[in-house]
This record gives sequence, structure tokens and C-alpha cells, in this order.
Amino acid sequence: MGTQHVVTMLPGEGTGPEICEAVRMVIDASGVDIKWEYEDIGLDCLDKYGTLLPDKTIQNIAKNKVALKGPTTTPIGTGHKSANVTLRKVFDLYANVRPAKLIPVLKRPWDKIDILNFRENTEDCYAAIEHMVSDEVAQCLKVITWPGSYRIAEFAFKWAKANGRKKIYCVHKANIMKMTDGLFLDAFREVAKKYPEIESGDIIVDNCCMQLVRNPAQFDCLVLPNLYGDILTDLCAGLVGGLGFAPGANVGDGCAIFEAVHGSAPKYAGMKKVNPSAVLVSGVMMLRWLHETAAADRIEKAMFAVLEERKHVTYDVGGTATTDEYAQAIVEKMHAKA
Amino acid sequence: MPTLTDVAKATKKKRKITLVGIDMYIITEKGIPAFDDIGPFKCEFISNRGTKVWPGFVSPDLLQVNWYRCRFMATTDVQDADVNAFLDALTKKGWWWSAAQKLWNYDGEAGFSKAY
Repeated sequence: MGTQHVVTMLPGEGTGPEICEAVRMVIDASGVDIKWEYEDIGLDCLDKYGTLLPDKTIQNIAKNKVALKGPTTTPIGTGHKSANVTLRKVFDLYANVRPAKLIPVLKRPWDKIDILNFRENTEDCYAAIEHMVSDEVAQCLKVITWPGSYRIAEFAFKWAKANGRKKIYCVHKANIMKMTDGLFLDAFREVAKKYPEIESGDIIVDNCCMQLVRNPAQFDCLVLPNLYGDILTDLCAGLVGGLGFAPGANVGDGCAIFEAVHGSAPKYAGMKKVNPSAVLVSGVMMLRWLHETAAADRIEKAMFAVLEERKHVTYDVGGTATTDEYAQAIVEKMHAKA
Repeated sequence: MPTLTDVAKATKKKRKITLVGIDMYIITEKGIPAFDDIGPFKCEFISNRGTKVWPGFVSPDLLQVNWYRCRFMATTDVQDADVNAFLDALTKKGWWWSAAQKLWNYDGEAGFSKAY
């Protein structure tokens, strides 16, 4: 055993708690020493705390600086602030890191996809500045700032360099939105000068979408403003098999929260039939963030092997295994290989 | 035969518009601004890049730029002339602002977003 890490576990609601228990079982069996501190988040908090994100949870994340989060749902039209958005705002989690890597056993039309998306997470049309400027005209301000653009570009280049990536492209529409996307692109180019060892370039967002579905293997890392990032990261997830296998991390200067991007599937809650893979691969990402690379590799290899065998896989990939049986199969595969 | 543009324009519904406040976009290098009430307008919140920075907790990690949205809500019934007087008073107090956006209710419903 090496260093003990203290991690905030946010099971969320719906299928979140059963997914997170399965994921915890796998991570704990990987040889890494983690002390989990459970905190509440999501709909189940409303009765108890009157909010989707209690202060106690915020304080625990601030203390531990790293969290693994299960899925949560934002109620529509109730006036409650989204827990996810509030987390991003409170901790200024400006970098949404969304890898899209082809899982070998999931049959897709492509031989190779390994794209690392860096979505700016706090600005753009998500600044929530909207007005009805007349009774028939609505307006949303697209806010792009120099420091906000510069730091996501710097974050992406640093991450790429640390992980041996070769190429970064900035995705934009600066041919039309010359001020906002132009500023984002200028900041990217400024940062790129500091990393001559990494190939850099830019691509217009509509062309990027077309190229992604025609030949995704050409892309390595993408840096995107918030709105394009929101859309293209899901597009990339679709390329590699959907949100069920898509990990994600929201990272700021002060802390990092790792989470799947799919919903909480409340209709399946308690049935233990959902696939925990997206939270599990988010946990793998978290282990790499904690420099527990060996444990991360062990889990990933075991998961791929279980998927390859197809004996203990969940219904969404053609099997009948429960959430726990799938997780247990991964644990046994890890131990068998040890 | 009406065009689709004509058809679309004909669907417009008349709504009652009431002035209820002003969003002021203030540029300052001195951090989060502080305001006394100005005439019938009271500062309700201040946001930076869409995140509320006053009143209440502000994360020390939060990136703030030199451009603040300051929401002033009317404490009484107000007219456009009150906005003009407000802008004049604000400028005389030394505040540098890039834009002002009147806040209207439409049939009593807010025509503007809140801040996170």
C-alpha cells in the first residue's frame, strides 16, 4: 500500500448509490488505499436540506480536493439550482475533461478513436445572462474572457504534455463570431507558442463535426468553448459507444470532481441492472489524477477483459448480469491477472 | 396568400411590459463594487462571468474579470426618466459602465435571468 488518499464520494440519486457501491468495490480491490467520505448531493437532499447541494458537502469537497460523483438529476421548472452547475461555480471547475476512447470490444465502424476533449466549463452562453429585450426578442450574452480562454488552453497543453499527447486543435467559429471566438482562438495561439513540441492548429466547429464522423482517428486533443464543447463531447461519446462508457472530470485550480455524464435513470433505481462503466472509468481517470497509474491500468484491463468475454455484462451490452455481478467479475479478473 | 413571415408575425401576442430594474455592466479594477441605494434603485446582486459574487460566499478560487453585472431593482414604481436620473447619478459617482439593460416584467413574469 502506498499513500492513503481521502476522496469525497457523492453517490447522487436514482441508480447513483448502487453504481457507486459497485465502483467502490472495484477500486478498493485494485490495491489503492482510499478513505472514502460519503456526502449527500441531488434530489434526495431536498427534503433534508432544502437544496440539491448542502453546505456540508461543499465543505467536504473543499477539504479533500477530489471527489467521485454518481449521477444526479436537476428537476425542471422547480427553481432549484442544478447541483452540477453550482459545483462548477463554487469551485470554479473551469476544465471539463472528456476522453473519448474506443473500447475494443464494442463494435464500432472505426479502428481507432482516442480523443481528449478539453471543454471550457464556466463561460460562453452558460454565464446565465439572458434578457427579453423586447416582447418579441430574447437575448443571451455570450461571455468569453481572455483569462478564461487562456487558462483552459494552458490546462489542455499541460495535460497533453504530461500524458504524451502530440496534437491539439482549437475548435471555434471565429470566422463569424470574430470578437468572442476570436478572443478564444487568440488566447489558444498565445499559449501554443509556449509548447512548440506539441502540434497545434484550429478548426471551425461545423467542419470539426463533419470530420469527426468521417475520420475521427485524425484527432488527438481538442480545446473548445463551453457550448461547442457541450455538443461535441457528446458527439465523441456517441462515436465510441454512448454515454454508458464516457468518463468525465471537472477540474479547477483547487479541486477535481470525476463523474459520468449520463443521467441517474431513476426508473431503474434499486434494480441493480444498470451498467456502472461510466462511473468506473471516471474512477480510473481519478486514479490517474492521483498518480495511481498501476491501479488504474489494472481496472481498465480487467474491465475490457470482462466486456470481451461477455459472460458477466449488463443488459445494455447484451448480457444479463447485475451491476454487482459485473463489478465482481472485474474484481475477479484483476485478481486472476495479479 | 400570406408568406410564412407574415404568418409568424401575426402570431405576436400583446403583453403588458413593466419596468422593474436595470442591469448595469460596470468596469472596475478595484474588485467587487459596493453601492448605496441610488434614487428608487437598490442593488440586489452582483455577478462576474455569470457567477454571483455579492451578496454571500465567493470562492477564493473564482476567476473574476474587470466587468461586473450589477442588478439594481426598483423599490417603487419607476419610469424611463428614473433610469436616466439613475445613470446620471451613477456616472457622477465615478462608476465607468459599458452598458445598461432595462429589466422588464412581461405580464408580471420576469424577462431576465438570475445569476448562479
